[in-house]
Parts: sequence; C-alpha cells; structure tokens
Amino acid sequence: MSEQVDTRQLILDSAQKIFSDHCDKKLLDQAETGQFPDTLWQVVRENGFDQLGSYATGTDWNDLFAFVQTCGRFAVPLPMTETLLANQWAGAGGLSSIGEIIDGQIVSVPWGRSVSRVVGIEADTREVVVVESPQVVHQGSNMAGEPNDIIAIPDNAQKIEVPQDPYALSALGRINLMAGCLQTVLDLGIQFATERTQFGRSISKFQAIQHSLAVVAAEVAAALRAADAAVDAVSSDRFLDEVAASKARVGEAVGVVAEQVHQIHGAMGFTHEHQLHHYTRRAWAWRDEWGNEFYWQARLGMALAQLGADNVWDFIATRG
Amino acid sequence: MLQFDRVSLTSQTEALRQEVRDFLQDTKTHFPRPNSDFVTGHDPEFSRKLGAQGWIGMTWPEEYGGSNRSFFERYVVTEEILAAGAPVSAHWIADRQSGPLLLRFGTSEQKQTYLPQITRGEAFFSIGMSEPDTGSDLASVRTTAIREGDQYRINGTKIWTTDAHRNHFIICLVRTEPASDNRHAGLSQIIVDLRNDGAQVRPIANMAGGEDFNEVVFEDVFVPADRVVGEPGNGWEQVTSELAYERSGPERFLSAFRVFVELVRACGDDPAPHQAAAIGRIAAHIMTMRRMSISVAGMLEQHKDVGVEAALVKELGNNFEKILPEIARLAAPASGQIKAFRETFEETLMLSPSFTLRGGTREILRGVIARGLGLR
Repeated sequence: MSEQVDTRQLILDSAQKIFSDHCDKKLLDQAETGQFPDTLWQVVRENGFDQLGSYATGTDWNDLFAFVQTCGRFAVPLPMTETLLANQWAGAGGLSSIGEIIDGQIVSVPWGRSVSRVVGIEADTREVVVVESPQVVHQGSNMAGEPNDIIAIPDNAQKIEVPQDPYALSALGRINLMAGCLQTVLDLGIQFATERTQFGRSISKFQAIQHSLAVVAAEVAAALRAADAAVDAVSSDRFLDEVAASKARVGEAVGVVAEQVHQIHGAMGFTHEHQLHHYTRRAWAWRDEWGNEFYWQARLGMALAQLGADNVWDFIATRG
Repeated sequence: MLQFDRVSLTSQTEALRQEVRDFLQDTKTHFPRPNSDFVTGHDPEFSRKLGAQGWIGMTWPEEYGGSNRSFFERYVVTEEILAAGAPVSAHWIADRQSGPLLLRFGTSEQKQTYLPQITRGEAFFSIGMSEPDTGSDLASVRTTAIREGDQYRINGTKIWTTDAHRNHFIICLVRTEPASDNRHAGLSQIIVDLRNDGAQVRPIANMAGGEDFNEVVFEDVFVPADRVVGEPGNGWEQVTSELAYERSGPERFLSAFRVFVELVRACGDDPAPHQAAAIGRIAAHIMTMRRMSISVAGMLEQHKDVGVEAALVKELGNNFEKILPEIARLAAPASGQIKAFRETFEETLMLSPSFTLRGGTREILRGVIARGLGLR
C-alpha cells in the first residue's frame, strides 16, 4: 500500500514539474485557438503518463485519477482523461477522446479533430462504440475554449463492453479535473490578495477578504474529499451513488469558488491577460459535462427515495 | 491542510454501530421529538443508560471510568445517536469538552472526582465562557476569582450557558489576576458546583420556545482553591484547546438531519425531479462532510492538532445545516402527509440561527481558517 502511494507521489511530482514548465499562459492561449500542443503531448508520452492505469505500468485507478487531478491543476490542454479511459476500455491506442452519442453522432468530443480514436457513450443505455480514424462533422468548443467537436459514427464502428459504468467514469474524470482546478483558483486568490495593496496595506489583511478566502478554502477541502471518495468507490457496487454525490458536491463548489476568487481579483481577473479565467472557465464548463449537479442530485435522490426515509441514514452511514 | 485523509471506518466499528442501533431501538421511549439538534433534548435517564453501555467518555482511560476506545468508535456512537434524534444534551458537554479538558489539564484529584461520574451519566457540565459584554472576544471576560486563603471568591455574570439550570457543574473562564497588556494572561478555569456553591441561575427563553440557556450570576461565591483546572493563569491556552474539541464532530452537520428524513418521507417513493434533486443535494453534502469529520477523528486518534481542520468542518457543517431546511422547504409537497415534515422543519428552522453561533461564530471560524491559510 505505502509502496503504491510512494509510486503515485513520484508520478505526481514529475507530472507537476513538467506541467508547471509547459502549461503557461501562452500555451493555454494557443490551445484555446484550437492549436494542438504537440510538444506537450510528446513529453507526456515520453514520461509514460499516457499509460497510467494499465496493468503493465503497475498503476491503478487511484494513480490514474490522481494524475487527472494534477492535469486539472494546470489546465493541461490535452484530452488526458479521455485517452486514459479509452485505453482502459479498448486497449492502448494513442491519443483518444470520448463523447456522448446523441442522434447518431458523438458530440462534445474534446480535441476530436486531433485524436486517432473516439469512444462514444450512449447516456441511457450505456452502450459504448469505438471509432478509429474519426471523421469530424463539426468543430466547436466549450465555454473554456477547449475544442469540442462532433464526430460521425460509421457503420463499421465497433461496439464494446466495458466493466464499469462508462458515463460515471467520464464524470469521475471531470470531478478530478475540477478538484485540481479549484486548488489552483484558491492559490491564485491567496497570491493576489497577498500581493495587492490598497489603503496602504495588503488586501489579505482585510477581514472581508480573509473570510471570502476561508469560504473558498472550505469548498476546496470539501471538493477534494468528495473527489477522493468517488475514486475510492470505482470498483464497488456503490460507484454510481458515489459519483453522483461527488459530481453534485464538486459542481456546487465550482460556483462558489469561481465567484469569490473573481471578486477578490477585481477588474484584473476579468481581463483576458490574466490567467485566472483559464481555470474558472474550465471549472464552469466541466461542471456541466457528463451530468450537471441537477442530473446527479436527482439520480441520487431517486435512489434514496426508493430506499425510503427510514433507510437514508443507513445509506449514508454504511458508506464510510 | 485542505487535503483530508481518506479514512474509512473498520468492521470493528460497524459491529459497534449495530449495538448502538439495538440500544436506540430499546430506548425509543426517550425520544419525545423528532429533532437531531444536540442541545434540545435533556434526559438524565437516557444519559445514564448510555453511560451504563460505556458510551460516555469512551476514549478515556479505564482508571477514570472510560472504555479506552478509539475516536472512530466514539464517532460511530455519536453519529448514530444524533441521527436517531436521541436526547443527548445532558451529558453532551461533559463528554465532548469538560471531560477531555480535565483529562488533559486537570489535577489527579479532579480526574478521580469528576471523570468516573461523567462516564456514568451522573455529572453534567456547562460551559462558562460568554458574558454580557463578552462574546466572540473571549479574552475580555470580567468575571473575577480572587484567592482568599484556601478559597476563591467569584464575582461576575456568565450568559448563554446551556443547561446551567439542569446540570451539576460549570467550568468558568475567569480572571484570577488583573487585566494587563497581555490580555491572554491572568485567566484561569474554575469548576463551580451549580447546586451547592450559591451561583444564581436564571433561564432565558429562546425564540424557538425553549428554555435551554441561562444567565448565571456569581455574587461572592466561594469555592475551594483546588477547583482551579490546571495551573492558575493557564486559562487561555486551555480554553482554546478545549474549543478545538467541539468543532469537528457530527453534531456540526446533523442538527437538521431529521428534516431531511421527513422530507424523504413526505416526497414518497416516486418524487418529482426537483424533489429528487433536493434529496440528492442534501445527501451529497452530508456524505462529504461526514467523511471530513471522520478524517478529523483519525487525526485526533493520532494526537494531531486539528484546529484548522475542525474549523473547516464546522464552517461547512453549520452553513449547510442552515441551508438544509431551506432546500427542504421548497421541495416538500404542499399538501398530503406533511404534518411530520412541517413540525420538524418549523422547529429546526427556529433553532437554526443558533447553529452558526454556538461553539464559535461563523466569523471567528473564518478567522481561524484564514490564519491557517497564512493570511493573518
């Protein structure tokens, strides 16, 4: 166990170093115009990050999603969650992406234009198809400027069976991206409040600012714990319930954290030149992807309603 | 600091959970109201039954009547009795706060005198911190205890002291030396016997129709000098460490839990989407806070300082237990089988202003967190 954790820390440390070197504002700006970060992808491959979670590397779901959380912290402009999950479901296959099947197409596919393989998930049936050498029907982007494309499903698309709920695993990717991203937003808030001087002193000395950041810190702590809880449940029969609780909770944190930290940054944080929006816009986008708060709340709530009022405590308490 | 450990309860604690549930089933007659607020049900007989199970002071050493059990086991007992809405107020402060304070700072004689009584559910304690002119600014207390021979003469007024009219003892924060430039110096904690030492206790009605808190007036009240807890003058350090004990437990997010249960009941097994979402939203918050609270139990088990983590749990928990009735109110059906829901909801809503006041106001806790973030 501790050896596993040590390995994970090594992976995360090196990922952190690489991403802090590469994922600067310039790269994020370029990526948001649709320019694929070739060099970064090269480095990711050289370090084997694209193989995380595979049996051969001796890493597990915990390592995979901890890495995804690190990607969130740096707003890494690559479809890393998608590539890692596609590898789990369809075997190693280079840069991949995932989208939802709607009206016979795969929609909202991150970097669909740049990947060699796309997996489509049908939300109601959880049916999964794999499309090699995907054809882009439409190029678009989410509110964070992340390329989000529509992919055609050819007749020869391969249907596959996957062991865990693919929709929930995709949501778990967003949960961890958000959790990582929110840490960065808090860090930026603390940094700005400490450096910015008004009325002759650092604004971090004002109680209103301190309380705002305390609220943000509590939300980030809750988001991190909720994300971990969902990862811990990947192989259990309560996976869907835990993802539901987690995506709902982390999504709620996004709204609070982004609002407060933008307020602290004043007009500077509203400029394109400042880096804050790269993180807040992503968090806002991710909370709506793979089921927003309402979707997951209602799902969890329906399960609880069916258990009945006198069993809700047991449901909560036996999920330590 | 923000990364709470992934701690899970063990099968050992789950066996205990079942024992507690069986016990609660057997003591159902003690639950007059469906309310999970830890302040509102004072039932000495229930507390004695709990004590007989070894579930008061359960982490304390056996030599003082404790059961030497883990903080996780205490956590499980606590959350089960709260979620069921059992009346816990009588022993609550003694178990959570006064006992641990005495265990850590008290003299050997104090430990032998008070702790075994507490664990049997026979000695109930109140907290004497606030005064008419002292709220969040605790160091400004003006109640004095002046040494005269082998006694202390106490003068002053404590206020908002929960259950002082029902409990046996109060531990007061008092000035034993005149105020100086160092406002944290010269403070001490002293035990007063509420039934025999001559303090005057006057209940104060609260807005929810209850009489739980009090004004306690000391006019030349004399107590033996050996009632000082720990060293005279060490009161500030003791009181701040005591406050950390009271901030991370499940009582910080379960005060409104019965409203949630009645909401689920009122919505039935086929709720409308907005009702299901309200139920799921509440559950998601409670599940997360519960895990954070268990993480803190793990830190207590390892004797770690939990000051900031406990403040984070309380900040999240208290805010949410105030939002919970609001979410439930708008989601509950307007008619039908809603009597139980309305009763629990109305009672809890009227109690809810106290949630973010007791145990350190929201404003004080945010200051503690801000200090942890390096902003102060």
